[in-house]
Amino acid sequence: MADIASLPGGNSPWRSAGRFGLYFLLISFGAYYILPLIVVLSTSFKDLDEIRNGTLLSLPAEINLESWRYAWSEACIGVSCTGLKPYFWNSVMMTIPAVLISTVLGALTGYALTKFKFRGANMVFAMILFGCFIPFQVVLLPMAQSLGFLGLANTVPGLVLVHIVYGLPFTVLFFRNYYVSIPDDLIKAATIDGAGFFTIFWRILLPLSPPIIVVTIIWQFTQIWNDFLFGASFTTGGGQPVTVALNNLVNTTTGVKRYNVDMAAALITAAPTLAVYVLAGRYFVRGLTAGSVKG
Amino acid sequence: MTNSMTEKSLPAKRPLADWLRWNVAKLVVAPTFALIIFFVYGFIAWTGYVSFTKSKMLPTYSFDGIYQYVRLWKMSTWHVAMENLLVFGGLFILIAIVLGCLLAVALDQRVRAEGLLRTVYLYPMAISFIITGTAWKWILNPGLGLEKMFHSWGWESFSFDWLINSDMAIYTLVIAAVWQSSGFVMALFLAALRGVDSEIIKAAYLDGASLSRIYLVIILPTLRPVFLSSFFILAHMAVKSFDLVVALTGGGPGNSSIMPANFMYEMTFRRNQIGLGAASAMMMLATVMAIVIPYLYSELRERKHG
Amino acid sequence: MATLTIQNVKKSYGAVDVLKGIDLELENGEFLVLLGPSGCGKSTLLNMIAGLDTITDGEILINNKVVNDVHPKDRDIAMVFQSYALYPNMTVERNIGFGLEMRKVTKEDRERRVDEAARMLQIDHLRDRKPAQLSGGQRQRVAMGRALVRKPEIFLFDEPLSNLDAKLRVEMRTEIKKLHQRLGTTMVYVTHDQIEAMTLASRIAILREGEIQQFASPQEVYERPANMYVAGFVGSPAMNFIPATVVSENDRLGVSIERTARGERSSVFLALPDDLQSIGEWIGREVILGIRPETLTHRSDAEMTQNKRLQPFDCQVEVLEPTGADTLTYIELGGREVIARVNPYNTSNPGETMAFMVDMGKASLFDPKSEMRI
Repeated sequence: MADIASLPGGNSPWRSAGRFGLYFLLISFGAYYILPLIVVLSTSFKDLDEIRNGTLLSLPAEINLESWRYAWSEACIGVSCTGLKPYFWNSVMMTIPAVLISTVLGALTGYALTKFKFRGANMVFAMILFGCFIPFQVVLLPMAQSLGFLGLANTVPGLVLVHIVYGLPFTVLFFRNYYVSIPDDLIKAATIDGAGFFTIFWRILLPLSPPIIVVTIIWQFTQIWNDFLFGASFTTGGGQPVTVALNNLVNTTTGVKRYNVDMAAALITAAPTLAVYVLAGRYFVRGLTAGSVKG
Repeated sequence: MTNSMTEKSLPAKRPLADWLRWNVAKLVVAPTFALIIFFVYGFIAWTGYVSFTKSKMLPTYSFDGIYQYVRLWKMSTWHVAMENLLVFGGLFILIAIVLGCLLAVALDQRVRAEGLLRTVYLYPMAISFIITGTAWKWILNPGLGLEKMFHSWGWESFSFDWLINSDMAIYTLVIAAVWQSSGFVMALFLAALRGVDSEIIKAAYLDGASLSRIYLVIILPTLRPVFLSSFFILAHMAVKSFDLVVALTGGGPGNSSIMPANFMYEMTFRRNQIGLGAASAMMMLATVMAIVIPYLYSELRERKHG
Repeated sequence: MATLTIQNVKKSYGAVDVLKGIDLELENGEFLVLLGPSGCGKSTLLNMIAGLDTITDGEILINNKVVNDVHPKDRDIAMVFQSYALYPNMTVERNIGFGLEMRKVTKEDRERRVDEAARMLQIDHLRDRKPAQLSGGQRQRVAMGRALVRKPEIFLFDEPLSNLDAKLRVEMRTEIKKLHQRLGTTMVYVTHDQIEAMTLASRIAILREGEIQQFASPQEVYERPANMYVAGFVGSPAMNFIPATVVSENDRLGVSIERTARGERSSVFLALPDDLQSIGEWIGREVILGIRPETLTHRSDAEMTQNKRLQPFDCQVEVLEPTGADTLTYIELGGREVIARVNPYNTSNPGETMAFMVDMGKASLFDPKSEMRI
C-alpha cells in the first residue's frame, strides 16, 4: 500500500521530518522488544560481582559461560541439584511424540472432514473446534484424576497424552482449513482413477501438504514446549518439563540468589523455540495467524 | 448342497468391503472425535458436576446445589482476582492493540530493514510466559534492575518498586504481557494492511487526501475485523493467563496480583478445595464463552455475507 | 463402448429437489450433451453417472447393469473435469498413468499406453513437466489423456472447455469431436454453451431446474424446440417471440400480428403452411409465434415464387448491427423487438420501411400459457 509515499507531490520538508519521526518510533520500540533479551543474555555472562557493581545495560567484561554450565548441570531445583538437564530432556521426550502424533491425527481428521464429507461432518468439526477455546482450568481436575487412574500421573507419557488431546483441536483446524482450499475435483479424479481413501491421502494430498505440516509442527512445538500449566499440574519432582523446572529454579530461595544462573536457565529453556523462530519465522507467523484469527 | 452354500456365502465379503469404503472417513475421524468428546466435553461435565458438590481433598458426588458458587463469590480473594482480570485485561488489550496497530502502520511505510524490525517485534511470541516472567522479574528488580540503572545514570531519586508494591504489581504484568503479545497484533494488522485494495488508496490520493487522512478515514475503518479479532484473541489470552503471574509476581505481594487461573490452581492443588476450584474453573469457562460466542457468531455471519 | 440408461433418477438434498425424475437412454457410441444453465442439475447428473454422488431414487444402468451401488472405479468410466483436476505433484506422464497404476497394470504396458495416448494428443514432448508448467490448453490435453489412456466404456466431460480462451475452445471442441469419431466410445458431456452442444452432440438433453425439457438430436432441438425455454436457449441471436392471434383469411389459416407504425395501428397477416393447418381449434386465440432470425430476411420475389411458405410484409427498420456476414436488422412486431438476419447489401437505413419475407415453414407456435409447442 505504501506506494503512495513515492507518488509525485509527496516531497516536502514535512515529509523528511515525518520519515525521521517514523524511524525514531520504529527503533525505539525495537529497543523495547530487544533490550530484555540483551539484558538477559549479558547478565548470564556476568559473575555475581559484576552484577552487583554494574547495571542492567553494562556489558560483561568477558564471555563467562560458568553460569550456563551451572544452570545446565548443577543448579538446585527444589531439593535435587541436577541442573536443568534432565528436565530439558523431559521436555524433548514429551514434545516430540506429542507434536508428531497430534499432527498425524490432525491431518487425517482434517482430510476426512473435508474430502470425504459425511452427514454431520460440519457438526463434528464444530464440536472439535470448541476445544480450541476452553480455558484448560475446566479439565485440570478430571485430567489429574484420569492420569492417576491410568497410572500415568507424573510421567512423560501422561503429559504426551494431555498435549495430544488438547493440541488436536488446533491441528484439525489447521489441516481442515488447508484442505478445504484444495479442489474436490482432484479427489473425484483420483477416485475414478481407482484410488481409495488412504491412497488418495498418501499419493495426492500429502505431497501438497508440506506448508501446512510445517506450520502445524511449529505451532504445536511452540505450544507444547512452552506449556507450564499442564506440567505444573500433573508432575512433580523429576518428572517436570523444563518450564516448570525453570520456575522452580528461579524461585528456589536457599542460598545466594544467582541471577546469572537464572538468566542462563531462562535462555536454555527458550533456546529451542527461539531457534525455530529464527529458522522458520515465516511459517511461525503463518501459524499464529491461522491459529488465532480463525480459531 | 454344501457347495452352493459356500458359494453363496462368498459374496458376503463384498458388503463389508463396500461398507468400509463408504465409512472409512467416519472411522478415521472417530478416534479424534472420541478423544475430544471424552477429554473436553466429558471433563467439562465432570468439573461442572463437582462444582455442585462439597468436594474437598477428594471428589465426592453428592449434589449440593450452588453452595460452592455462593462461597466463591463471598471470598475476597476471588473478588481481587476478578478485579485484577478486569484491570489487567482492559489495559493489556487496549495497549497491545494501539501499539500493534501503530507499529503496523509505521512498518507499512516502505521502511528500510522491515524484515529485521518485524523479526524483533515478534520474537517474544515464540517464548514461554515463564521465561518472559523470569526476564522481566530481573529487569524490574527493585534493587538491581531499572532502578539501579537510573541511579547510576545520576537520577538518584528515581524509584521503581512496582514489583513489590501491592497497588502496582498488577501493572508489571501488563508491561510484560504487552511486550510478549503486541508484536503478534502488529503481524495481524500488517497482514491486513497489505491486503487493502491499493486502488482505493490511489483514488483517495487523487481526491487530494493526505496520507494521515487516508489512514484514519479510509484504511483503519476497513480493518474493523482485525480490531475485533485482536480484541477477542487478547481477551481470551487474558482470561487464561496463569504462567506469567506465577513467574513474575507469584500473585503477590500477598494476593494483590492474583488472577482467576491462579486462584483455581491454588484452591485445587494446594488447598484441597476441589469443589471450590471446580466452581472457579466453571466461572472462567463462562467468562471465555461470553467472549468467544459473540466472536464466532460475528465471524460466521461475516463469512455468510462474504 | 456401452449403453447408458437412466431411469426416473431423482436427487434431493433435504427438501430441495435437484433432479426431479430424469429418463435418458443412450445407444452404443452416442454423444450425449447435457445442456442447461448453472444450477439446472446437469453436473449433479454427471456425478451420479460417475458414481461420485449418491442417487436418491431411480436407477442408472451401464450396459443394462444397474450401477447404483457400484464404486466409481468399478464402473469403467473416465472423466474430464472443468478444473482439469491434474495431480499437482505428479509429472504429465504419471498423471496420465495414475489410473493404470491403481489398476495394477504392469509398468511396460503402462508406458506403452501412456505413450500412445500422449502421442494421440500431441503432448509427448511434455511428459516430464508438472501441471504448473503447462498452459491451459496443454493441461486440457493432459486431462483428456488421463481419461483416454484407460480406454473406458464411457467418457464423461464436465464443462471441459469453459476455462479456455475463445480460440482454444473452438480448437479443442474439434479435437473432442475427432476423438469421438475415432474411438466411437459413448460420451456424456455437460455444458452451458449451446454452440458446444450443437456441434458435438448426437443427442442433446436440455435441463432446467432438474427436469428434462427436450431430449433430441441437435437439428430437432433447433428446428422443433419442445417449448419456449428450449427455443430461447438454443440459437444465437435467440429466436424471436412475437405475440399473435390465429385467424382465418380467405380460407387460409394464418397469424395476425398487431403493430404500431408511425402512430397508426395496423396488423400483419402471415399465412401458415398447409401442414400447420391442423390448428383450427386455435382460431381466435392468442399464440406466440417463434421465428429464428435467419428465417426472416429481405424480400426476394424470385424466391417467393419458388417457395410458397415464404410470407411477405413491410416494416420500418429501427437499428442496424452489421456482423460482417450478415447485418442484424431490428424491427418492431407485436410490440416486441424482432431481429432479422439480412444480407449486408440489401439493408435499408434506420427509419426507412423495408420489404421482408419470413419462412413460415420454419416457424414455431407456442401456447402462451404453458409455453409448450403447438
